[in-house]
Amino acid sequence: MPSSQIGATQIWLLTPQLSVTLLSFLVLGLDLITRRKTLVWATALIGLAVPTFFTFTLAFNVFGPRPTTAFFKMLTVDTYGIFFDLLFLAIGFGVILVSYQYVEKYLRATPGEYYAIILMSLAGMMLMGSTGELISVYISLELTSIPLYILAGLSRRDGRSAEAAVKYVLLGAMSSAILLYGMALIYGATATTDLREIAAATLTIPHTQNLLLLIGEVFIFAGFGFKVSAVPFHMWAPDIYEGAPTPSTLFFSVGSKAAGFAALLRVFVFGGLVHANSTYLWGMVAIVAALTVVIGNVAALLQTNIKRMMAYSSIGQAGYLLIGFASLIIHDTPTGNQAMLVFLFVFVVTNIGAFTGIIALGDATGKENIRDFDGMGRSSPWIAFGMALCLLALAGIPPMAGALSKIFIFWTAWGQGSAMTFLVVLGLITSAISIAYYANVVWRMFVIEPAKREFIRVPVSVTLTMTAAVIGIIAITIVFGPLLTQANIGALSLFPR
Amino acid sequence: MLLTVIVFLPMFAGALLLGLPERVGGISIAKWGAAVVSLAVFLLTLWLYFGLLGGSSTNFGTVMDPQWYVNIPWIDTSINGFRFHVQYALGTDGLSMPMLILNALLTFLAVIGSWHIEKRVKLYMALLLILETGVAGVFASFDLFLFFLFWEVELIPMFLLIGIWGGARREYAAWKFLIYTLVGSVFTLAGIFVIYFREGGQDATFQHFATAANSLSGNIPFLGTAISIPLLIFLLLFAAFAVKMPMWPFHTWLPDAHTEAPTAVSVLLAGVLLKMGAYGLIRICLGFVPGGANEFAPILGILAAINVLWGAGASMVQQDMKKMIAYSSVSHMGYILLGVAAAAATGAVSLNFREAALTGATLQMFTHGTITGMLFFAVGVLYEKAHTRDIDIFGGIGKVMPTLFLLYSVACFAALGLPGLSGFVAEYLVFTGSFALLPVATIFAAFGVVLTAGYLLWMLRRAYYGPLNMKWSWLTDATVLEAFPLVALALVILFVGIYPQPMVNLLTPALSQIIHSMSATLR
Repeated sequence: MPSSQIGATQIWLLTPQLSVTLLSFLVLGLDLITRRKTLVWATALIGLAVPTFFTFTLAFNVFGPRPTTAFFKMLTVDTYGIFFDLLFLAIGFGVILVSYQYVEKYLRATPGEYYAIILMSLAGMMLMGSTGELISVYISLELTSIPLYILAGLSRRDGRSAEAAVKYVLLGAMSSAILLYGMALIYGATATTDLREIAAATLTIPHTQNLLLLIGEVFIFAGFGFKVSAVPFHMWAPDIYEGAPTPSTLFFSVGSKAAGFAALLRVFVFGGLVHANSTYLWGMVAIVAALTVVIGNVAALLQTNIKRMMAYSSIGQAGYLLIGFASLIIHDTPTGNQAMLVFLFVFVVTNIGAFTGIIALGDATGKENIRDFDGMGRSSPWIAFGMALCLLALAGIPPMAGALSKIFIFWTAWGQGSAMTFLVVLGLITSAISIAYYANVVWRMFVIEPAKREFIRVPVSVTLTMTAAVIGIIAITIVFGPLLTQANIGALSLFPR
Repeated sequence: MLLTVIVFLPMFAGALLLGLPERVGGISIAKWGAAVVSLAVFLLTLWLYFGLLGGSSTNFGTVMDPQWYVNIPWIDTSINGFRFHVQYALGTDGLSMPMLILNALLTFLAVIGSWHIEKRVKLYMALLLILETGVAGVFASFDLFLFFLFWEVELIPMFLLIGIWGGARREYAAWKFLIYTLVGSVFTLAGIFVIYFREGGQDATFQHFATAANSLSGNIPFLGTAISIPLLIFLLLFAAFAVKMPMWPFHTWLPDAHTEAPTAVSVLLAGVLLKMGAYGLIRICLGFVPGGANEFAPILGILAAINVLWGAGASMVQQDMKKMIAYSSVSHMGYILLGVAAAAATGAVSLNFREAALTGATLQMFTHGTITGMLFFAVGVLYEKAHTRDIDIFGGIGKVMPTLFLLYSVACFAALGLPGLSGFVAEYLVFTGSFALLPVATIFAAFGVVLTAGYLLWMLRRAYYGPLNMKWSWLTDATVLEAFPLVALALVILFVGIYPQPMVNLLTPALSQIIHSMSATLR
């Protein structure tokens, strides 16, 4: 394949990311010539159809058979990448849909600015799932992160928002530095930055007690651990979740986490690092996973602010994903990988639904404590119902798909032998704990009668998002089997050998 | 298809009710809608029985050969030689069919018995219907993973039903219910994983586990000792069922939940939710891990006797009528435990004794559902009028409420096992079987019958007999609407008590299949 030439085929492989970037410029430019906020919002929303279309052309090879790499192997378009492209597009759609009212009411920024920044970050996330090279992993990570820093500080008059942004920049820069150092060490050990070649090299160079490689792996894991808010790199999450404007928080919690895991799996599985020093690596991931599920779920019990609670809840969810990652490392199989993809998919949909409820309350009252949800089951039944459904799915209570994806990740881990049993038991116990704080919100919404009954006006865009999330979660439950099959194809495409 | 409708119709109807507008007659539509739907579901469950009765060879099914069986592949993915295989498999046999009918009947009566509810009617009726779906799903599923998914569905509706419409300490009771149930489920899910992987990791249908039931053996090291694998699996699986039944010492959530819950919810809680635990014990623990059941049987027998005596003793000292009935449920569930323990116990006696004990236990599941349901309804009627349940405050109120007095007495007599009423048949069968296998536990448990008679008759005497306490002379008798659930349940109790044969015929094939398949493992 003449990959040195940039031709139409190579451009085609890049079209999803390219069109998202162009869309962000379009939205930004549109903001200059029109004052109609609805138009800007609708353009950003409907414009997402273009990258979605291009992703589907890639998925179904509409323009003929395609190579899987482009741009000197920097871009890798396989089923895994396409799976994540669609996931990120869904995230972008949900976040932009739900933001309309909030942006108008609370942000001093012009709407075009806000949507454009989200779209730029989205392009970075989509690249993170589709890179084939350490350098481009790093560049797409920064392309994702820098817009996120801006998003955290977008409430310009709010001190907490500014504080969140500064914290995020500092900690993000540090984690990037650690990640970059890890990449440098990997390059030192394998003499290449190409993930396929790293995968090949790890089979030939000493890969059981290679300290250089091990330190590189640890640093890379730490760098991504920050992105996915795994303990002990989770400190930023609660403060930044609380301080940032709520739609931005939603974007961090689903987008940043999914992107972190997309790149983590890409580097460790596609880049073959999982079978270098796998015993030590497994030990480290297992400890981090155990700490993450315990600290995330226990700390969430103690929160009074709903956004902080959701921050710890998402730390706990990252812990379940890491249990899947540990079961992937232990036998170096696509198993855990598949479970993680499905779990992420369900997590994204349910978390969007849960945050939609928070945004609805924030839109109407500007409050964000857990006790402010008192009586919401009466003041806006549909939002409360949808939010309860999504929270319970996050908790893993049947009948919704959250239970299925959680059981599947535990089932997978259990099947990997007795070393994983401990982690599964810990996961089961903490998910029982987690039900307490999710059920507490449901309790407040439906059981507690507030002293003063107030009518909550829910904007159409928020109701639409909630409806989409509820339909999504029900649909996922019904077609869970086919979803697993697709995730399996995506998981297998990371194992090119 | 029929089972699918029975299981999911209530949930869809409940979701529709939730969407009704609050103003234009939404409340009466919710009541009538819930009544019509639950009646329809009840009639459909009757067709489960009568549809088979008319057939050429009346076959009510066993676990190996379920009736009304549907099996649609839902999730199937293969990894490392293991399959994550969840099938939408629904079916019935003699063990589950009475429970499905009981569930539908009690839900219908609960809707009728809740006609006076004025607080958030839509949500209340919707939650009752969603609860019905969860419970029916548990009794109908024939796949272990599907069973577990349905098992957890009832959690949130029940949590909210106690929490919103409960009494003064409802918050405490609802959270206690939630936490106890959750902790039990965690162990059960772990148990499901163990048994699934031990038995091939390919298939989770009940037929598969029933076929492989005798294959489990061996030990695994645990903290320096060796623990037998069947026993470990049995105990893990049993955790959620023991909490739900409830078995002493995990029973403490029950008096709180029952006392605080509104009448109709207590009826469902005692009538069908406890039976989910008993059903799981018989179907899954006994049916799929007979080796573990056999090893645990002596201890289970002792626990059963403790359950019976502890529950009865605690009932004796209650001032609150409802709390008394709640403890009497603990006591009566002890007979089920005793029957199961006897069926699995070691002993060189005819299989007929085991079958009698298990038939008695299963019959007790049904009869206790009807009897306790009736008792709770009767207390509810009284409470709605007098706004107290303190036994000693009343006195001689039988004079002003003759109808309620009569029906209340029927329920009490049925509960204490008067011959001619259904409670007698069940307890008699349990004791007949268990005396041959677990004589000591049976002798102790038999005293429970005496205690039961004691506290029920004493309660009747204090509240209903004697000279009328003039403070209560204004009480009026039960209305037709209030008496309806009581009369309906009384008819069922009378019928099963006088003519238990159809019920026994329904149970026998399924139970004798369990007994015969486990006879190889029994030592």
